[in-house]
Amino acid sequence: MRRFILPLLPLAAGLACAGALQAGLWADPIVHARADVGTLLALVGLLASLLWAAGEGLWALAGRREREALARAQEAQAEAHRRFLRRLDHELKNPLTAIRAGLANVPAAAGDPVLTSVRGQVDRLARLTADLRKLAELEVQPLEEEKVDLAELLAELADVAADRPDSAARTLRISLPQAPWPLPHVVGDRDLLFLALHNLLDNALKYSRPGDTVEIRAFEDGATVAVEVADTGPGIADEDLAHLGEELYRGRAPSGIDGSGLGLALVRAIVGRHRGSVTIRSRLGRGTAVTLRLPVAR
Amino acid sequence: MDDLREPCRILLVDDDQAITGHLTPFLERAGFAVTVAGDGETALRRAEETRPDLIVLDVLMPRLDGREALRRLRRSGDWTPVILLTQVGAPAERALALDEGADDYLNKPFEPSELLARIRAVLRRSRAGAPSLAGARRLSCGPLALDRQSRRVTLDGREVALTAKAVAVLEYLMLHPDEVLSRERLLDAVWGWDYPAATRAVDSRIAELRRLLDDDAEAPQFIETLVGQGYRFVGRVRAEA
Repeated sequence: MRRFILPLLPLAAGLACAGALQAGLWADPIVHARADVGTLLALVGLLASLLWAAGEGLWALAGRREREALARAQEAQAEAHRRFLRRLDHELKNPLTAIRAGLANVPAAAGDPVLTSVRGQVDRLARLTADLRKLAELEVQPLEEEKVDLAELLAELADVAADRPDSAARTLRISLPQAPWPLPHVVGDRDLLFLALHNLLDNALKYSRPGDTVEIRAFEDGATVAVEVADTGPGIADEDLAHLGEELYRGRAPSGIDGSGLGLALVRAIVGRHRGSVTIRSRLGRGTAVTLRLPVAR
Repeated sequence: MDDLREPCRILLVDDDQAITGHLTPFLERAGFAVTVAGDGETALRRAEETRPDLIVLDVLMPRLDGREALRRLRRSGDWTPVILLTQVGAPAERALALDEGADDYLNKPFEPSELLARIRAVLRRSRAGAPSLAGARRLSCGPLALDRQSRRVTLDGREVALTAKAVAVLEYLMLHPDEVLSRERLLDAVWGWDYPAATRAVDSRIAELRRLLDDDAEAPQFIETLVGQGYRFVGRVRAEA
């Protein structure tokens, strides 16, 4: 709006001066001169207005072009990335299928430790390819859009976690607001949101130690719902924190913990599709809190 | 398969020789006679020459891909049961696989034992003389009808407001009547992913279906629960063109 009003100011000023002259507010004895000067002022005002408007227009156009070019470059990069993920997935799948078929032909006593170990590693690679595929699909697949009751979803998540053997040695707490009103709904794909939160809770339980506390809490600030999964685990070093959520990045601190390195990348992709955000706070030796923010359903 | 006098013949189609090389002896040990083809064109020729009982067909192949080969096969009126080995796992792709007349599909990298289970299930259905449901536009069971093209479900002629996921679950169940389907398999087929806690997502869609189709879990007309195993569609499914 401001962009359209500002360029009109010189014209308005010119017209106002011309009007003032005509009305005889200035005690000029020569009537013709007064009219000429008035017209001149109005014309100068008009010209200035036109120049201003043209300048604004050109400026906006240049800005839009730049933004469009940037968006196109980003989209092309994202598409190239998806293509890479799909190819990687494809190139891994066939040899894995062949290895599994080959293993099925190996005559071996049941429970042979070597065979069991090899099978376990093949399963691990298979999970990695499944996650890669999921990640590539996530960015393009149509989302189911329904109202999701996050409070109910989080209660279910806590139930699932309570069934895990590693949760027994940890204190698991869930706190959801009741006053002044319960948590509002969000719009999205319930199963994907569950997957994202499950990944966060899974990380919190996996990387924390017996005796640690894991908390799930949620609150709203009118426009967004924030869901936080926090733990008193080992925390993440600053230099790792910057790379967290990159595909296949795994920090150095945790060792011997099973994972594909795609869990947080999936969380980011899911939350991104829901127009939300992910933030991580962590202190080495103290713990980690991951916060998801999602728009409240209107 | 013990009651069969001569072994069932399977045409195995994949361009990756490492896969056919390992799968062939595996399937032969399970009692099948296996023929191999390395691309879609060869597959169509072999299918005509050898008249197999079932075709295992990979999707991504040189010359003629599995999808096109399947389309040509069906267009020529050949309804030999086909299990499609999907490569790109997108859900849309899976729905398409059904749409084009595959009797089942399996994501790579699969466990050979899973392929064997699928082969046996599909053969059991076709041996029992059951009409192939693969190409049906509409599936019906008593008062229940599912239009696969428009994704609409009706009960006694009245439309039932189901979520897209619930329709997909129902479709998969109806396409595999009398087969015990584990939660993991339903997840893989309908959601396209599988992780330990996700099985609840299946349960909640089944609950939605039962509620809206008025199906009693204790005495089911449509969907039966097999504790610790999964679900089974118990009604008699008919294919309509």
